[in-house]
Amino acid sequence: MKANWVVVLAPPFLVCMTLLFGTQYVFLQLGFFRDLGIGQVGTELELFNYIRAFTEPFFLNALRLNFVLAVAVVAITLIVAYPIAYIVARMTPKWSIVFLTAMVVSSFVSIVIKVLGIIIIFGADGPVNRFLRWTGIIEEQILVIGTKSGVIMGLTHLGIAFMVMMLFSVIQSIPRSLEEAAEIHGASRWRVFWRVVIPLSMPGVVSASLLLFNIAMGAFVSAVLLGGGKVMTLPVVIQRTILLYTEYGMAAALSGMLMLFVFAVNIVSVVAVTRMRAARFAVT
Amino acid sequence: MTGRQLIGASLRPGMHALLPERLRRMHIGKLLRRLGSIFWMTLGYTFIFSPIIVVAGSSFDGSSLDLRGNSAFLNFPPENFTFEWYTRISSSLYQALWISFSMASIAAACGIVLGVPAALALIRGTFPGRIILGTLFRAPLQIPFIVIGLAFLQAYYEVGALIGLQLRATFAGLVIGHVFVATPYVVGSVGAVLQRFNVSLEEAALSLGASRWRTFKRVTLPIIMPGVLAGGIYAFLVSFGDVTISLFLTGPNINPLPVEIFFALDREFDPTIPAMATIVIVGSGLLLYVIQRLVGIDILLRGGGNG
Repeated sequence: MKANWVVVLAPPFLVCMTLLFGTQYVFLQLGFFRDLGIGQVGTELELFNYIRAFTEPFFLNALRLNFVLAVAVVAITLIVAYPIAYIVARMTPKWSIVFLTAMVVSSFVSIVIKVLGIIIIFGADGPVNRFLRWTGIIEEQILVIGTKSGVIMGLTHLGIAFMVMMLFSVIQSIPRSLEEAAEIHGASRWRVFWRVVIPLSMPGVVSASLLLFNIAMGAFVSAVLLGGGKVMTLPVVIQRTILLYTEYGMAAALSGMLMLFVFAVNIVSVVAVTRMRAARFAVT
Repeated sequence: MTGRQLIGASLRPGMHALLPERLRRMHIGKLLRRLGSIFWMTLGYTFIFSPIIVVAGSSFDGSSLDLRGNSAFLNFPPENFTFEWYTRISSSLYQALWISFSMASIAAACGIVLGVPAALALIRGTFPGRIILGTLFRAPLQIPFIVIGLAFLQAYYEVGALIGLQLRATFAGLVIGHVFVATPYVVGSVGAVLQRFNVSLEEAALSLGASRWRTFKRVTLPIIMPGVLAGGIYAFLVSFGDVTISLFLTGPNINPLPVEIFFALDREFDPTIPAMATIVIVGSGLLLYVIQRLVGIDILLRGGGNG
């Protein structure tokens, strides 16, 4: 039996790990060689690119912007998606399937098509600007495309469907009887929500938020198209380093920096949440 | 007046007849919560669907037709309703759609071929290090897609230089990059299904004299089928909609449709793009309908894929 499963696992394991380690090794090791221009790298191992990545304000600002945008996206998505997930989870099963299916439908559509829609909606002559001008709220047009809010908007679109589907299964697994018990004992609906539903769903919220954070940190399409070349997040900077300067070493070091940062944030949040829960249980 | 008061109780007797029975019996707090819920749901779902509706709507916009697509942008709501853009879709866009479709199908199929045995071994096997191996199989989803794209591009350069096998800017190279991200979806969803069902069913079949292959075909496969389908569908969708990985691996004549749309938005707008996007949206809807008729949509809702 034992040997049997190893034989079953071996072929997919070899293929997947070759693709994973092979490609990542070939690319990331370039980060330790100095760029010589026209796509060539030096032969001497050095930390030059990483030192540049972690000291030059341009790259550090890109990382900070990337982080701020990702946190904003996660926060906005949670605020919008949590109540929706809760409402859908407490509907009759027939209706919750309908509303969840709607979320699946929207996630079937590629991000570029959604970005195309957002560009039309917020274009200079798009429905939003025309409506606002018609109501007289604004004289000129409001700009969303080419700003940070445009990028946040695009990523929030991506995030909401994802978050509702993730949180739905979390909230659905909280027995309704717990809420009823709290209510019978005199808690108001709000109190039940804050003291029962939200704490019990916290582990799910944290893991869903981290997943969305990781996606948002690596987001490229929305950052390029909705940022209009003005919102320089790390993925955009990485692409430009290749496209404009063909510095593969620098691009590799920046990719290394991005992944290290994302990894560190994940580790820190998981540890922090575990500590917090441990502390709370120690008190009660 | 508290939230627990009945709505009917706060009205003068003569006004009772104006409200339906159900509403009169509702607590005021409950009514406010209902209204709040409806408001929030409307807001959320409008936000989610607005880009899709706007793309579909503006593909019928004829207000800039006379400009011959020169810097023309489409309006929503559409003016001068027209089907003209649909007839003007270039053959290269149809080719891009075909490339996307075949690429995503092959990638999902390869993902299933690699992912199903991996998931079976990882869940049913008893060898050490399964948790680490499981993490490694899921690792591609943790790497930003731009890093995956660049890494495959560099690896293809290297393979080309070492053994002369040209993968860069080829269809095969494109597909391999997508198989890499397709497999974890299948491993994830098949693994989730396997964890839920009891190994004793398989053991019963084996002890009753069924061969291993027969046990797999008659017991295991029917049980994991929803997971295989869900993983395959998610893998297909991720591959079909991907821009970032494809961007670095494509070459002339093998651009998938999302890459063509990306170029059109990044460089010069092409007014037939919304028409093509609408065809894709309708196609996705049809795919969903077929899934619903054949196996039921809920296989996609039960923990399928990793998002």
